[in-house]
Amino acid sequence: MEKISEPFEFKECIGILKATGKKARNLKELRDIVAVVSAGSIFHHTYQYFMRERFLEYTNDFAQWAGEGLEERALAEELSNIDPYEFRDTEEVRKRLLDIIGGYLERFPDPRDAMAGDEFYFNETVTIIYPAGIRAENLAEFLIAIRFMDVNAVYYHFYDARVRLGTDDFSTWFERVIGKPALAEAVRAIDPFMHDLEWIRRYIAGAVEAEVRRDMEMTGGGG
Amino acid sequence: MISRYAGIAPARDLILLRKLGERLRGKTFLHVNSTRAGGGVAEILHRMIPILKGVGIEPRWEVIEGDERFFEITKKLHNTLQGNAEKIDGEMWRYYFEVNRRNAERLDLDADAVLIHDPQPAPLIEFRKRGIWIWRCHIDLSAPSRDVCDMLTTYCRKYDASVFSVAKFARAMGTEEFIIPPSIDPLAEKNRELSAEEIQAVRDRFGLEKERPILLQVSRFDRFKDPVGVIKAYRAVKKYNDCVLVLAGSPATDDPEGAVVLQEVRDYAADDPDIRILLLPPFSDTDINALQRLATVILQKSVREGFGLTVSEAMWKGKAVIGGATGGIPLQILHGVTGFLVHSVDGAAFRTRQLLNNPEMAAKMGTDAREFVRQNFLITRHTRDYLSAWYCIENRGKDVIEL
Repeated sequence: MEKISEPFEFKECIGILKATGKKARNLKELRDIVAVVSAGSIFHHTYQYFMRERFLEYTNDFAQWAGEGLEERALAEELSNIDPYEFRDTEEVRKRLLDIIGGYLERFPDPRDAMAGDEFYFNETVTIIYPAGIRAENLAEFLIAIRFMDVNAVYYHFYDARVRLGTDDFSTWFERVIGKPALAEAVRAIDPFMHDLEWIRRYIAGAVEAEVRRDMEMTGGGG
Repeated sequence: MISRYAGIAPARDLILLRKLGERLRGKTFLHVNSTRAGGGVAEILHRMIPILKGVGIEPRWEVIEGDERFFEITKKLHNTLQGNAEKIDGEMWRYYFEVNRRNAERLDLDADAVLIHDPQPAPLIEFRKRGIWIWRCHIDLSAPSRDVCDMLTTYCRKYDASVFSVAKFARAMGTEEFIIPPSIDPLAEKNRELSAEEIQAVRDRFGLEKERPILLQVSRFDRFKDPVGVIKAYRAVKKYNDCVLVLAGSPATDDPEGAVVLQEVRDYAADDPDIRILLLPPFSDTDINALQRLATVILQKSVREGFGLTVSEAMWKGKAVIGGATGGIPLQILHGVTGFLVHSVDGAAFRTRQLLNNPEMAAKMGTDAREFVRQNFLITRHTRDYLSAWYCIENRGKDVIEL
């Protein structure tokens, strides 16, 4: 398979967790702290929710706590529909959180307290990015790499890229460098809120494999 | 050294360990705690020091010395920090500082990074020479006695950062606070793979019949571990399912309360031949490893717990664990995914019956449990996090660090 000029350099990232020292026992406290806590903490509890290898029932930590810690299911559903990538920055996400929690408190002004030990702990992270030491120079190499790559690389290139570039790194490379717009579209069609990292890895590997097969058939055996 | 973990630990942890090792190569990393043998901290340090050396760091491990009076004071300190009401007077605080001052004269505290474990050596910060100093708190500081905590905080505030195992154990002390859970070593005797012969030998020695399901709890005979509650749960299960209960722990020769609890457990077990109380001598790691592999259901029905690493040890053997929803246990058991969290004897009994009657579900949970430990609670991740915290402090102010 032909080598291309701009290889795909796989990177991984991890988050080193830090406590902010702030915790909320009920929705009023949650609202008050969301209003003032660091942007890094809002980022951690929304965008970086997708870094964990297994998603829980909802799509961010605030929704998860509202649903499981406070059993306020309607609020959890509303919070879970926040798409952080729709917003320009974390401050806009903060504002949306405050609107939803504030609106709910107007309708239900006496929130219950979480059980002791089940409070919401506000954390933040320092993100460390590092090269995985693997680069792909064509689709076949990419296919082997994505199959064996740590799922943290999927997080970095599929989710974190949306903050950096507004879209994921995979589809950008497929379209701009490899010249495969249909493959890029297949990756862009993934709903980022409905799948865990392992599923996304398998899906992309499957789509790339199908593309590699087609290329080989077109060229009569990959020659 | 770290190549021994290849194929066991996640590759990302090994890659990042090497990368951080390149950045911190040749730098000295001093750990100070209060005992070289016994307890979770010493166990982890014994395993971690060679890994640090393996990635090019120059680690050292120093132990503070103290007399009986010092350790009585620090035991009180430990208890009050965990919420017990005990008095520590001015004279005790002076003695606590004085012993640390004497240790500071004796120990070489010169290093690029210094990690001080737990409250006993915390005042050593007053004798800092240079480098980054981090206080590592292994205990739960969420509901301490206020006066004692304030006094200790006067030392902790002087560190560059502190490290807690769980966010809810942390306490706002005005320093940067990292959350780094503890870990198990998959290559340690307690966790390594065992041959069928080794497991069978333990089965034979303890007279455990092959055809009968085994419920197991490995823990000290301590009321916080609720061994009597485990027997109650076993009796509730036994009405529906045949099984044997094994309670394995160390004899309580030096702990008067442990001896009392052991007697309570024996009395409560009465003459039931299917309750096996095993008193294992210290360092019975192979036996514990084998018992966990032999067990059908493993319980850690604690009503109060620190991090509760015995849960990860059991999960590493591919077992779904039923754990009390306390301390660090909910971080390890994702309810319904890697085991079950319970709040009562009834809950423990019900979930035990579920696992006994659904072996396929138990096997799937066990597989997920082992993978969850692999991803989150191995010593390679733990070491990686310490080096990351050190590197983050050196690059303070950055939210994103690219290596």
